[in-house]
Amino acid sequence: MAEESFLTDDFLRQLINVGEVDILVGLPTHNNAKTIGSIVHTIQSDILRCFPRERAVIINADGGSRDGTPELVTGVSIDDVRPASNPYALRTLHSISTRYAPSPSSGGALRTILAAAELLRAKACVVRSPESANIESEWLSKLLRPIHRDGFDLVTPIYRRHKFEGLLITNLLYPMVRALYGVRIREAYMPEFGFSGRLGSQFLGQNVWNDGADGAGVELRFTLAAITGGYRICQSLLGDKEHIERRGADLVPALRQTAGALFSALEADFPVWSSVTGSQSVPTTGTDQEVSLEPVRVNRKRLREMFSTGVAELDSVFQSILSPSTLAELQRIARLGEEEFHYPAELWVRTVYEFAAAYHKSVISRDHIIQALAPLFRGRVFTFVIENRNASADDVENNIEGLCLEFERLKPYLLQIWKSGE
Amino acid sequence: MREMIISELSQALQELARGFAHFLPRLIVMLILIFVGWVIAYVVKVALRSILRLIKFDKLSEKAGASQLLTKAALPSATELLSRLVFWVVWLGFILLGVRVLGILGLQEQIARFFLFLPRLFVAIFIMFFGMLAASFFSRAALLAAVNANVPSPRVLSLAVRSIIIVFVLSIAFEELGLAEQTMLVAFGIAFGALMLGLAIAFGMGGRDLAQRFLEKRFVRGKREENDDELSPL
Amino acid sequence: MPLNRDVLWYKDAIIYQVHVRTFHDSNGDGIGDFPGLEAKLDYLQELGISAIWLMPFFPSPLRDDGYDIADYVSVHSSYGTLEDFRKFLGSAHDRGIRVIIEMVLNHTSDQHPWFQESRSSRDNPRRDWYVWSDTNTRYKGARIIFLDTETSNWAWDPISKSYYWHRFFSHQPDLNYDNPAVREQMWNVMKFWLEMGVDAFRLDAVPYLVEREGTNCENLPETHGVLKELRRKLDEEFPGRMLLAEANQWPADLRPYFGDGDEFHMAFHFPLMPRMFMGVKLEDRKPITEILQQTPEIPPSCQWSLFLRNHDELTLEMVTDTERDYMYDTYAGSKTMRLNLGIRRRLAPLLDNDRRRIELMNGMLMSLPGTPIIYYGDEIGMGDNINLGDRNGVRTPMQWSGGRNGGFSTADPERLYAPLIEDPVYGYPAVNVLRQTETEHSLLYWMRRIITVRRSTAVFGRGSIEFLYPASHRILAYVRRLGNEAVLVVNNLSSTAQAVELDLRRYKGNILIEMSGKNIFPRVSDVPYLLTMGPYQFYWFWLRRI
Repeated sequence: MAEESFLTDDFLRQLINVGEVDILVGLPTHNNAKTIGSIVHTIQSDILRCFPRERAVIINADGGSRDGTPELVTGVSIDDVRPASNPYALRTLHSISTRYAPSPSSGGALRTILAAAELLRAKACVVRSPESANIESEWLSKLLRPIHRDGFDLVTPIYRRHKFEGLLITNLLYPMVRALYGVRIREAYMPEFGFSGRLGSQFLGQNVWNDGADGAGVELRFTLAAITGGYRICQSLLGDKEHIERRGADLVPALRQTAGALFSALEADFPVWSSVTGSQSVPTTGTDQEVSLEPVRVNRKRLREMFSTGVAELDSVFQSILSPSTLAELQRIARLGEEEFHYPAELWVRTVYEFAAAYHKSVISRDHIIQALAPLFRGRVFTFVIENRNASADDVENNIEGLCLEFERLKPYLLQIWKSGE
Repeated sequence: MREMIISELSQALQELARGFAHFLPRLIVMLILIFVGWVIAYVVKVALRSILRLIKFDKLSEKAGASQLLTKAALPSATELLSRLVFWVVWLGFILLGVRVLGILGLQEQIARFFLFLPRLFVAIFIMFFGMLAASFFSRAALLAAVNANVPSPRVLSLAVRSIIIVFVLSIAFEELGLAEQTMLVAFGIAFGALMLGLAIAFGMGGRDLAQRFLEKRFVRGKREENDDELSPL
Repeated sequence: MPLNRDVLWYKDAIIYQVHVRTFHDSNGDGIGDFPGLEAKLDYLQELGISAIWLMPFFPSPLRDDGYDIADYVSVHSSYGTLEDFRKFLGSAHDRGIRVIIEMVLNHTSDQHPWFQESRSSRDNPRRDWYVWSDTNTRYKGARIIFLDTETSNWAWDPISKSYYWHRFFSHQPDLNYDNPAVREQMWNVMKFWLEMGVDAFRLDAVPYLVEREGTNCENLPETHGVLKELRRKLDEEFPGRMLLAEANQWPADLRPYFGDGDEFHMAFHFPLMPRMFMGVKLEDRKPITEILQQTPEIPPSCQWSLFLRNHDELTLEMVTDTERDYMYDTYAGSKTMRLNLGIRRRLAPLLDNDRRRIELMNGMLMSLPGTPIIYYGDEIGMGDNINLGDRNGVRTPMQWSGGRNGGFSTADPERLYAPLIEDPVYGYPAVNVLRQTETEHSLLYWMRRIITVRRSTAVFGRGSIEFLYPASHRILAYVRRLGNEAVLVVNNLSSTAQAVELDLRRYKGNILIEMSGKNIFPRVSDVPYLLTMGPYQFYWFWLRRI
């Protein structure tokens, strides 16, 4: 079946003009005019400083911006048509932009970037999210050098976070990917990462693009594809993680991109993860950095309330998803006051696994399953915050490690409930 | 005179016999049809049941929430129910065909109208079935959204959504069946309107703050003191 | 074929740079000479060149390859006599070939009688002919040119117990151009050769003629004054002769040497040359177009002189540090190839003996605006010997045949002024004129053909240039125009096949005619003109409106 190509004629023509490159920087954008200027200037100077002799290109995959973002990106190209653009550059630097869709989707953006990487035969590529502020100025070479010089296929970032930020990663995604796929990748869902042309081509050929959910969490699928494909993976410490806009309330979309993508990948990857035991660590580069410990305001009361409300109101939904014993436990905890409330690690692991199994069996609409996980996650956050209230960086790390081991230990349970009812 | 009575009687008897003799073949045909119909209906039922089992129809109806209803009404499973329904419909069809053969006039018209009625009955059932599915899906979606947005009384909202959809579906089904169309439409209109009005008042009064925050987040840029105490999950 | 009388002959010229010592030895002493060179004039005429530029052949201790002159009006005995030179000059003119000789104005050898006199005592009449000082602290602003060998621009003279100024080697003291006697004498020297019939001078090291305190002693107004005076006299007494400046400067700094058409006729475009090599290695036209964008307009009677290689190192003075490092790493992998901020290699070895790249570079040489200079031996793809000291690796004997001594000389091989190149790839058995004359696909044949095409029109030598900037940076494209004639040149700088769309709307309606095969290509319309090009391929198209 001949699909209509998703690359426009104009973009293809621009790619012809760029020719083969050694380095490709992918930049998905949507109305980022306020911040994109400094980002692309940093990219340009990093390329000139760290890779002055390599042929490089910046590919902007734009999702229908109306604030002039694409023009800001293409403005950093260096060529002889505008001689004043940069007198110290050895080579031409192309910076081209294409609109991949009238409205943004991370799947569409990544697909466009991968297609460009394949057509331009780029050897080392990096994707940068326009939303991350304040990450280290060396980020480009940190993500690219392992690929360009050391032959790795995927470089995932490690961020320096506050101990209470990114709990969806530390309490769900990281332990679960680690336990199931056997690889200790800290940030399997990553807004910026580096990858080799090999891996990009392979992922482009996989049919994840029509899996629905508009490609949410496609970055996670990318990491999982690298794992199941046996590619060489390493991590690089990338500095502070600071969102340009704090988004505490967007838990459900975040769940879709992480848990949702992960659960849906488990289907196809079953042969791989069902036979893996234990976990391996992954080479890490960059200097170690302390987790930030400054006190931060957390509305704990609301977390617990949303948990309890959720357990109460979603009873009918949970009955289809959870096992009776787990549900009973949750109901018991929901009735506890703030002082005694405790969502233990083992229960959380069971919860997550039962959700994964329910997702696999499609007991109800899959998106609803993901949404139902939100209040339970909040309860888990509450417990984590309480437990680590006075913890040092090492303590936090140990607690996370403990949670990971719990995930690994209960993996047989997942296998058991996965298969039952088939 | 006695001879007249006897001859009249015998004539009447003869006529009766003749009429009966005339009628008998048709009766026999009717009985044959009924028998054949039963066989065919049975075959169809079994076939349909296998097909439905194959496509896991039970599961689908479970999702629709129909199964729960059936169990509550002490009815058998959806597959079984549908198979049996089809059985009866087919057999009934043959019975009616047989009756038609009998040639009783008034009955024919009724039978014709019945056959015209059948497709619409199926459509109505079809609508009801998928309507239930939709009601179940959307009410659950509303429930989850309300819980995650910390909206008070999420179950009420969920129930409201379910009710609206069911009422809507019912009225379409009834309209399709042609039963009391106007009444149903009007009743639906009133019910729907009342519900909406009630919700509006409740939302307006009780959800005023929520509405304000919602609108602010959507339309006012720059006022970003929201959720300072919420953690970033990623 | 007599010489054409056009005063602007140098705009259409194809110059062949050669040292008489390297070309052909007629008397068996192992050193090339003028009779030998004269004997090979037929070869040069067939090649199609129209002017010969001779490296210095004056009497000299040869400590700087003849640029240290000990007698300005004679010929070094190894190369023949003045009479031999005259004969050679006449034969060249008979074939329509002009002769350009060197004139080193800035300095002499310390063996020159003038310097011997000057240094003998402070009272000597010629004392002031050179620049003397009691201290070595004057003119601190002047940079040192031969960084690899010299540490100062002042040298101590034990005889007269003072310092003398030398911008080059310490055995090449600078003449003092503030002295009118010096200026007059140098004009007389030039007149000597002009009267003999020499057509042009390449004036060596002209930026450094005059020194002034508090400056970098280069390109000073006083220097220009001296040169303008020379030009004036030349135009007065010998119209139609030409002055070519050797000044390794940025184009903007070179501009003054053209004056208003009252100073030099021609100057070397030094910065372009390394950038052509860079462009081909980077597969990016940016270095080339940028330097040409920065090249200033010159007076209508003036002309740039373009070259790929010469007797010196491929100089990297006029590039940035990043660019220099890049050139070193890609073109001169071994440190012995590097000299004085340059790379000492011939054209063919620099381009990995890649025939396509050699053709591309020559194609650009012949089609960019300026007069091309071919270094002897590059027309057959000679190699180099980096183990010979200084820059001698690129000055080995011309390879005429696969026979004894490459046909250069009948002397014993040990007597040759320099050893022949012998390796299997570039050695004289493999690379020589005889063999290439016998094969039609040889580089020599190709050079003859492209020179013929180049000479068939004045557009290349005299026309304007307009760059096209196709979005693909690997394509260098430009249009040369003169009057009604227009030529489109498209070069693929990349080692891989390319597709390029050119915006030729200005030339809409023109039919393209490829200049070497004369085949017709599609006519220009409103849509972008698509060309597909093989690795390192180039096209020259007539734009003909019929």
